[in-house]
Amino acid sequence: MLMDGELDDQGAAPALDALRRDGEAQQAWRTYHLIGDAMRDCRLLSEGFAARVAERLAGEPTVLAPRRAASEPRRWRLALPVAASVAAVALVGWLAFGPQRGEEPVTVAKAPVAAPAPLQPAPPAIVPLPNAANDYLLAHQGFSPRLDLQGMAPYVRTVSDSSQDAR
Amino acid sequence: MRAAARTLGVLCALIAGAAQAQSAEALGWLRRIQDATRSLSYSGTFVYQHGGRSETSRITRYVDASGAIEKLEVMDGVPRELVRTRETVKCFLPDAKLVKVERRSGREFPALLPEQLNSLAGNYDIALGETRRIGGFECRAVVLTPKDSLRFGYRLYADVQSGMLMKAVTFDAAGHDLEQFMFTQLTLGHVTRDMVRPRHPATAAWRVEDVGAVPASLPGWALSSELPGFHKVIELKRTLGESRPVSQMVFSDGLAAVSVFIEPMTGRTQAVHTGLASMGAINIYRREVAQHVITVVGEAPPVSVQRIADSVEYHPQ
Repeated sequence: MLMDGELDDQGAAPALDALRRDGEAQQAWRTYHLIGDAMRDCRLLSEGFAARVAERLAGEPTVLAPRRAASEPRRWRLALPVAASVAAVALVGWLAFGPQRGEEPVTVAKAPVAAPAPLQPAPPAIVPLPNAANDYLLAHQGFSPRLDLQGMAPYVRTVSDSSQDAR
Repeated sequence: MRAAARTLGVLCALIAGAAQAQSAEALGWLRRIQDATRSLSYSGTFVYQHGGRSETSRITRYVDASGAIEKLEVMDGVPRELVRTRETVKCFLPDAKLVKVERRSGREFPALLPEQLNSLAGNYDIALGETRRIGGFECRAVVLTPKDSLRFGYRLYADVQSGMLMKAVTFDAAGHDLEQFMFTQLTLGHVTRDMVRPRHPATAAWRVEDVGAVPASLPGWALSSELPGFHKVIELKRTLGESRPVSQMVFSDGLAAVSVFIEPMTGRTQAVHTGLASMGAINIYRREVAQHVITVVGEAPPVSVQRIADSVEYHPQ
């Protein structure tokens, strides 16, 4: 029901709740989002793509996983509904939560829509502001395109108390 | 089910169409904000908030045929004052009897926002948001949501009548607000030249730190790979503080800017602490490369300043 986008808000709540708690469900949800990204461009998806998605869904025991369709002889007839369902989930998710960002990149095995994973450096050491951080800020601020939208207000950072502390 | 798939397709197309139309209207609002920023004289009080701190300042802008003069006075804590013209920014610190002068020759410097604002749409989803009253002005929100995790998002609230930017919020990937500028009071017009003169004119007893910046090429210094969406805007030679010679490269995605400062280690007594420091939406990452201190400063997420810092390379010419 949720996958078909036919659940009302109340009915969807428990499923969404499970999503929040269940790590695997979240992983699957992110995968759907990636698929959603492709769907939003309204690209036509090949049969093979749907089958691969179905396979992957079957391999992940989540609240959203449909039954494995492999033994069904007229497999393509199932592929389209699955694709539509996945798209509906992605769409509902997209409308409900908006694009999720800053998450670990998700790659779908062999899926043609997998985006190249951005290079994520190791988490940095946190250090104090450099001495005279104000000088760097003053030298930098003049190049912020925001000045064209906001006048000189952002310059307040260059004399802000917190950057002053580092002096 | 087929019908469902067809409906879905139609829905997709509708959403895409609506998004496009909205984006064009939102871009129109950005253009209005830019025009208002260029042309309006005003005086007002705004609050700058970040990380649980807030600071009240007074800002006055005077425009005549020769250009604009702006003055910003911090009202809380130690008195501080900034006066900006097209070619200089003067920072008056009365307590220290110090004036810092940031000088640049205007013509050689690039325009900041891209001439074609729609190029921003490559890096941000731009949409109109809510209508809200701010400081007595009816405002419309323009929301710039980043398309990846390498930049922040912005909610800009502009006065419906004049296009004047009344509030600007920077938010991160998780949707948390990082910093906010908001006018609590604003008067459009009624500004005289006298109102933008510094309250604490520097006398002979004041120390002057005059830092000039000149466009220059920086042979040997480069990034091994540019950050997606960010392009080099300019390379400069400049001084910082007392008179430290520094090289600077500036990268921008059209809205956010990141500076790379390169200073020789010569004469430096302390080791460089490699790592990240943050202040509101500003992140600063430092490391050492080829006997130089690299300081990357920008209004961009930690990962962006770190990636830029990590890709700084020196190849002796």
